[in-house]
Amino acid sequence: MHELAVAEQLLKLVEEEAQRAGARRVVAVHLVLGEHSHIAEEALRFHFERLTSQGSPAEGAQLRVRREPMRFRCLECDADYAPPAGDWRCPRCGEVGKLLDPGDELRVESLEVEMANTAYEEEEEEKEKEGGRGWPGET
Amino acid sequence: MAGRNVKLLRVERSALADNDAVARALRRRFREAGVFVVNVIAAPGAGKTSLIVRTIEHLRGWARVGVLEGDIVGNLDAQRVLAAGAYDAVQINTGGQCHLDASMVEQALSRLLLEELDLLFIENVGNLICPTHWVLGEDLTVCLVSAAEGHDKPRKYPEVFAKSDAIVLNKIDLMELSGFDRSEFVRHIRALTEAPLFELSCRTGEGMAGWTEWLWARVRRPVGPMPMG
Repeated sequence: MHELAVAEQLLKLVEEEAQRAGARRVVAVHLVLGEHSHIAEEALRFHFERLTSQGSPAEGAQLRVRREPMRFRCLECDADYAPPAGDWRCPRCGEVGKLLDPGDELRVESLEVEMANTAYEEEEEEKEKEGGRGWPGET
Repeated sequence: MAGRNVKLLRVERSALADNDAVARALRRRFREAGVFVVNVIAAPGAGKTSLIVRTIEHLRGWARVGVLEGDIVGNLDAQRVLAAGAYDAVQINTGGQCHLDASMVEQALSRLLLEELDLLFIENVGNLICPTHWVLGEDLTVCLVSAAEGHDKPRKYPEVFAKSDAIVLNKIDLMELSGFDRSEFVRHIRALTEAPLFELSCRTGEGMAGWTEWLWARVRRPVGPMPMG
C-alpha cells in the first residue's frame, strides 16, 4: 500500500550510511520486516529496484529480508510464543498473553558495501593491469 | 583482478529514519510554540472528525484548538471543524497517499496559525495500517474505533493499538445493534496495551466528559495553566 514511500525512505538511509562510510557501492541491504509491518515484500523490492536503477550507489544491491513474528509472553506458563495471525492464545494453556513485540519493525540491520580501494591496492591493481597488457617494464 | 574490498556496516536504524528526523524537528517546533499535538488514527467512518468536533465543543472557552485534516482529496472536514469552533484548520490533501508523513505536516504548518494554538489535532488519513509507521512529532497518538466496525479490530490491526497512547471506542450507542462483544474487545486490547480506553458516543455525548478531562489534563501539563480563549 505504501511501499513506494517506504522504498524512498529506505534508499535515503542506505545512501546516507554508504556515503558516511566512504563506500563506493552497496552490494546488499539486510532488512528486518516484521510479519505485521504490512509491507508487501515484492512491491518493496520492485520500487527499490526501480528507484536505484539510475545512477544510485545502491544500484543492483540485493535486498535481503528477514521476517520477524509478533511475540507474546504467557504469564501463567512464563513462556514466550509467536501465535498464528489473529489467535493470540498461549499454545500451552490457552490464555491470551501479553504483547512482547508487535512484529511491525522496518529496520535496516546492516549493509554490505564495496569500499574504495586503498592507495596501496590501487597501485597493485594498476601493476596487475599493466602486466595483463603485456607491457614490458621500462628500464 | 584484485578482490573486491567488501565490508559489513552495522546500521540498526529504522528504515523510516528520515521521516523520524523531520518529526523530531516538528516536535521541537510544537514545544516552542507551546502547542500540544494529538495524532488521530482510525479507519474511514469511525468518527475521527466527529470526535474532534465534539472535543472542540467541550473545550470551548478553554483552549484554542487547531486541526490539520489529512485526506486523499477535498476539504469537507476542515469546513466542519471550523464551523464547530476550531480556531484554525488546514486541509492536507495527500493526493492518493494512504497516510500523512512528517514532511506533509511541516509544509502545512506554513498555512496554520500554530503560535496561537493550545492544542492541535492531526486527523490522519482514514486507515489503520499505514499511518502507524509515520510519526509526525505528536505528543499523543490516539486510535479511534467504532462499535459498528466490530470487536475484532484489535486482533486484525494490533500494531496501531499497541502504539497508541489512548484508545477511543466510539458509537457505543450502536453496541447492541452491531452485536459488538465488549469483553472480547477489551481482552484483546489489554493483551496489547495498558493505554486508557475511553468508551463514548459522539452522537449522544455519552462518555465525552471522561475523554476530554483526561485529554485536558495532558494538554495542560506541558504548557502550564491555560489562558481563557
